[in-house]
Amino acid sequence: MTPYFTMAPRAAWPAVGARRLHWATAPLRALTIFVVYFVLFGMWVLVVPSGDGTVTIPVVRIVLFVALSVPVALVAGGVGLWHWWALRYWIEGDDLVVDTGIVRSRIRRIPLSRTQGVDVVQPLVGRVLGLAEVRVELAGGASAEIVLRYLGEREARALRAELLALAAGLPAHTPEAPERPFGRVTLGMLVASLLLRIPVLLAVAAFFAFVVFGIVFGELGVLAVAVPLLLGLLQGVVAPLVRFTEFAIAVAPDGIRLRYGLFETRVQTIPPGRIQAARVTEPLIWRVFGWARVEVTVAGYGGDRQALSSTLLPVGPRWAAFALVAEFFPSPAEVPLTTGRREHAAAGASREVFVTRRGWACRTWDVVAFARAQSVRLTATPWQRLRGLATVHVDVPPGPVQVAAVDRDVVEARELADETVVRAALARAGAATPERWAR
Amino acid sequence: MNEQPQMMPPEPYRQRSREEAFGPPDGTRWWPLSPRYRWYRRLVAALVAAAVGPVGAFVVARSAGDVGVLLWVLAVVIGLVLAWVAAEQEYQAWGFLERADDLVVTSGVFGRRVVIVPYGRMQFVDVTSGPLEQLLGLATVRLHTAAATTDARVPGLPTAVADQLRDRLARRGDQGSGL
Repeated sequence: MTPYFTMAPRAAWPAVGARRLHWATAPLRALTIFVVYFVLFGMWVLVVPSGDGTVTIPVVRIVLFVALSVPVALVAGGVGLWHWWALRYWIEGDDLVVDTGIVRSRIRRIPLSRTQGVDVVQPLVGRVLGLAEVRVELAGGASAEIVLRYLGEREARALRAELLALAAGLPAHTPEAPERPFGRVTLGMLVASLLLRIPVLLAVAAFFAFVVFGIVFGELGVLAVAVPLLLGLLQGVVAPLVRFTEFAIAVAPDGIRLRYGLFETRVQTIPPGRIQAARVTEPLIWRVFGWARVEVTVAGYGGDRQALSSTLLPVGPRWAAFALVAEFFPSPAEVPLTTGRREHAAAGASREVFVTRRGWACRTWDVVAFARAQSVRLTATPWQRLRGLATVHVDVPPGPVQVAAVDRDVVEARELADETVVRAALARAGAATPERWAR
Repeated sequence: MNEQPQMMPPEPYRQRSREEAFGPPDGTRWWPLSPRYRWYRRLVAALVAAAVGPVGAFVVARSAGDVGVLLWVLAVVIGLVLAWVAAEQEYQAWGFLERADDLVVTSGVFGRRVVIVPYGRMQFVDVTSGPLEQLLGLATVRLHTAAATTDARVPGLPTAVADQLRDRLARRGDQGSGL
């Protein structure tokens, strides 16, 4: 299932259509190699630390350094050029073909029908130099990602459009689909949303308490707690802030397009059919302001990339969150929910989607389209059985979303499970669902 | 290609009682596992007891003396007897059913569950058989979907039955689309 490598004689080259990365890739790679050499080795040849903490640069050392560095620079330049020269990519039928072979051909063939998304990423350096990398996400496995680093900005955009068109089954030269802006997250709202979370507020309060305690009692030991706490806060607040700055969403026929990032900007396109399930989360404090965030499960984004790429909207008004979900799942907000035995757990279904709501403090809504449901499970823990309750799970691929109608009356739960199975089967078959098949 | 699923509820519609909420689909009965599955569970329990008993007794003897050892041995024996009896219940609780469009598996004595896996969602099926299972001529069939939470397995099938089930499932899975 994973894209495979083949070794073939050089004759397999296509006569036309093979493209190379941007020429600046070669000097950049050479520079990277040289910097690594300098930091690990060259610097220590050049400078001699003396006992009193200062450093000296003797003339002998300069000569030695130059004598060492010139060959290293040449080798680095050669390697950069070699790699740039060796990597070619082209589109052949429905496949993106990447050849990284130097002497012999080393071909990776990527079936575009399995594309889960195409991202254009620009690190800070890339933005300065007008370069971008194209990442193609594929279904299946953590290594199922192809990175073309670097292309010119314009080329990268053109390649993305081409790949998405092919993935959708259109001819490659289809012009990039026109997009409709959906909305953007203002900086103030992003900052406020990251701060106004209970764990963050508690951590801030604890941090100040420790600092005050430390000052009042002249006790330096509190730093052992305060410093990790501060680092944790940076990790929990500053990292997402940097990541999601300038978050903008646009809807195009070829997918939902997200643009974000302060230093490293990223344009992520998720084709509409690739979203398996969605979750709208309303943390306790956010509910006062009517805010929510949206995360989705995209099959194929495994492990870290799943965690990083699952956010569709870091924060936004509740109505916008549901409107965004409605862009790819039919109107989940209009699904009537019925509560089970407990007030804060509800579930409901329309013809196309299954929606559950959970949580008393932090409220989450999970949505899955019946056509995307995997298996259906009816479970009851011993404690639930004592109370005559059961839970209906609709399984979806690994990700942030877990759809479960918890604590339903056991008889009703069984009916719900059976009904879900039928609806899922009908949705898969693409058949028209009768409006009310039961009851 | 796609047949119209014929899964309309049987008429007249009848509400289930609480007791049969985890029962088989209307008008069907669960397929049981091999009766040898009970002996598999008992063998596992006996082996665990044989391992845990002496090691625990040794540890207890150093801290709590002879009375402690006696209590420990008693506890292990009671545990073994309970597991021995529960093996029957557990065997009874397992059941599976191949329907036109999906496989239904039920299990659990204290906590109960029913898993319904559509053939069209199966990614692959595997048959495993550990040393103890092999001794008793048993095998476990496991269905994998794109969801990690599915966990649909049918243990304790006679090896030949397990292979047949796997082949049937694989054939039916081919007709579906997967993801």
